[in-house]
Amino acid sequence: MELTIDRLTKHYGSKIAVDRVSATLTPGVYGLLGANGAGKTTLMRMLCAILEPTSGEVRLDGKDVVGMGPAYRDVLGYLPQDFGYYPTYTAAEFLAYVAALKGIPREQAKKRVKELLGMLELTAVADKKIKTFSGGMKQRVGIAQAMLNNPQILILDEPTSGLDPKERIRLRNLLSEYAGDKIVILSTHIVSDVEAIADVVFVMNKGQFLVHGTVQELAEQVRGKVWELTVPREQARLWQEDFTVANYRHEGDNVVLRIISDEKPSDGAVPCEPILDDAYLYYFGAKEA
Amino acid sequence: MELFALEHKRLWRTTRVWLCVVLCFLYSVVWGSLMWYQWLGFGSQNDSTDMYDNNFDGYTAIRDWQEQFSRFGDEWTDETLQKIVAEYQGYDIYEKPGLQSKGDWMVAYKCLKLYPELEDPEGQQYQPLILYADTTKLTDFYQRRADLLEFTLEATRQNEGMTEADKQMLLDMNSQIKEPWPYEWTQGWADLTFDWPELAPYIAIVLGFLFSGEWHNSTAPMLHTTKYGWKKLARVKVLSGLAFALELYALIAGGKVLLQLIYLGTSGWDLPIQYVNLMAVAPWNMLQAELYELAFGLIGVFGYAGLVMLMSALVKNNVLALVFSLAFVYVPDILGRYLPKWLLAVSQYLPLVGSSSDIYGYNVFHIFGKGIWSPWMLITVPGLIGIVCIPFAIRSWARRERV
Repeated sequence: MELTIDRLTKHYGSKIAVDRVSATLTPGVYGLLGANGAGKTTLMRMLCAILEPTSGEVRLDGKDVVGMGPAYRDVLGYLPQDFGYYPTYTAAEFLAYVAALKGIPREQAKKRVKELLGMLELTAVADKKIKTFSGGMKQRVGIAQAMLNNPQILILDEPTSGLDPKERIRLRNLLSEYAGDKIVILSTHIVSDVEAIADVVFVMNKGQFLVHGTVQELAEQVRGKVWELTVPREQARLWQEDFTVANYRHEGDNVVLRIISDEKPSDGAVPCEPILDDAYLYYFGAKEA
Repeated sequence: MELFALEHKRLWRTTRVWLCVVLCFLYSVVWGSLMWYQWLGFGSQNDSTDMYDNNFDGYTAIRDWQEQFSRFGDEWTDETLQKIVAEYQGYDIYEKPGLQSKGDWMVAYKCLKLYPELEDPEGQQYQPLILYADTTKLTDFYQRRADLLEFTLEATRQNEGMTEADKQMLLDMNSQIKEPWPYEWTQGWADLTFDWPELAPYIAIVLGFLFSGEWHNSTAPMLHTTKYGWKKLARVKVLSGLAFALELYALIAGGKVLLQLIYLGTSGWDLPIQYVNLMAVAPWNMLQAELYELAFGLIGVFGYAGLVMLMSALVKNNVLALVFSLAFVYVPDILGRYLPKWLLAVSQYLPLVGSSSDIYGYNVFHIFGKGIWSPWMLITVPGLIGIVCIPFAIRSWARRERV
């Protein structure tokens, strides 16, 4: 299975939301990382064939996904960023409804709904109305509906928003386990989420893929550009004005700064092991990110 | 089918829908029928000027009327009219004010219009003709009615553009009315009411949100990416909307018919509708008229449901969908006096706008040179409007497949 993104572009009037983006995705987990307004949601909507591109196309195994229509939607699962639900439905009823829309036979749907409610720890509240749920619970219902048809392509727009740390970790594990021979694309601006599970990370800015690669490859790109520097507390602010500071830690009367810089910022600075956060900040700069 | 069942269930899940259905039932069936039969319409009167002063004894009162008027025989003849008028003149209406209302005195009142020469030419009698008419002169009832009908139709032909063929068609209809008319207490049938436009706000509130509500719930992106997408969902929504309209109609019509059976019974079904309107030409009995009324309501409700669903599919805003839907029913009513005559006439063919009372009228339309009596148009056009609206609703909803 191969999902090809070919020079995908979307203009809103004079504003370019997505600018000639190309990539070829094979089974695995893909993280789409970018600041708010980077074009992630627009790209995802085009990948789901619900937003018409200005130019370019998305192909699944060589076929245009728009032309595939129901055949494409049959292998697709999507969690929109603003997940809408029917407030008067219970979680189980809502999932049964979406299952019917996805054309899943009734008995099979029942089984799958039960399974997903269990996987997402919603069994206890399965018969409670969604309007009574917390943000995290609603988000889990949204993830469950996206996974109902066991999709070959699972697209999740900000799946971890509203989830508490425990829920986020559970979701990461669930997606890692789910991926296997499927394509999972998730967008987020929380670096640690993609760092934990993404095989390949696309860093997006101003509608373009700025850089992409595995977490290690991206981190490796900033090797030698990440420094730790211990400075007196009163000088910390000056360093923050002049450099991209990834972390700020107190140690007695001093502060340990993690600085992203092409050049060694000071004689006292020592190079350290880069992580994805550093790469992200390197490409975006602390202010932009 | 399963999707339809789930969508239909979803429609019924909201408080708004239940509230509408309960209110509609209370207003139309409980207030409009039950209270009408038992209290306001047929309860015995203490004061003929205030129906709220009636006693809560409609069931017994109706039985009394039915019993009382059975003594006038089972055919409407000159003698029947004479006897009823004579008996009325014998009552002291100040002592028994209730006698004025639901007895068949009303029929007698109507029939006396055929005897204008009996009215006091000096205008000295400050009371209705029924109180002083010379009963011995109440003769030739059917001939007088035929003459007046001929005169009325001729006047309509000359003044309102009715063609000779139309007039003949109406006279031919009239000639099918069998004489003498069967007779028994008629007022119960004459007072039957099915006010279908009162269903309009409830249908608009429920179905106006059917499509536009999806935007409110922000479910569009999720629904678009399901296998069946919006097109199938749109069809299912339309079906569940029509099912709701049918259910609401069945609840209201069923409730009203049930109460009618309880209060009026079945006797009198074969009375001619001329007891309601003396100059009507349709050779129909009360049952046929009621069936027409029910069909008129059903088609109107379906037609209006189609119209409301189209509005809901066309706009993304719930309130706008509701306002536009209600406008179809109420604007012709509110702005009637300012609208050109032709536009007002056309508006009567909108679902739930026109009136089934055209069965008592003489309106004839010409389509491809053929004269068609207006009640047939009134029962066809609203349904056609609904049928035309439905594919447009599905289409306009489905074309928003990309968000």
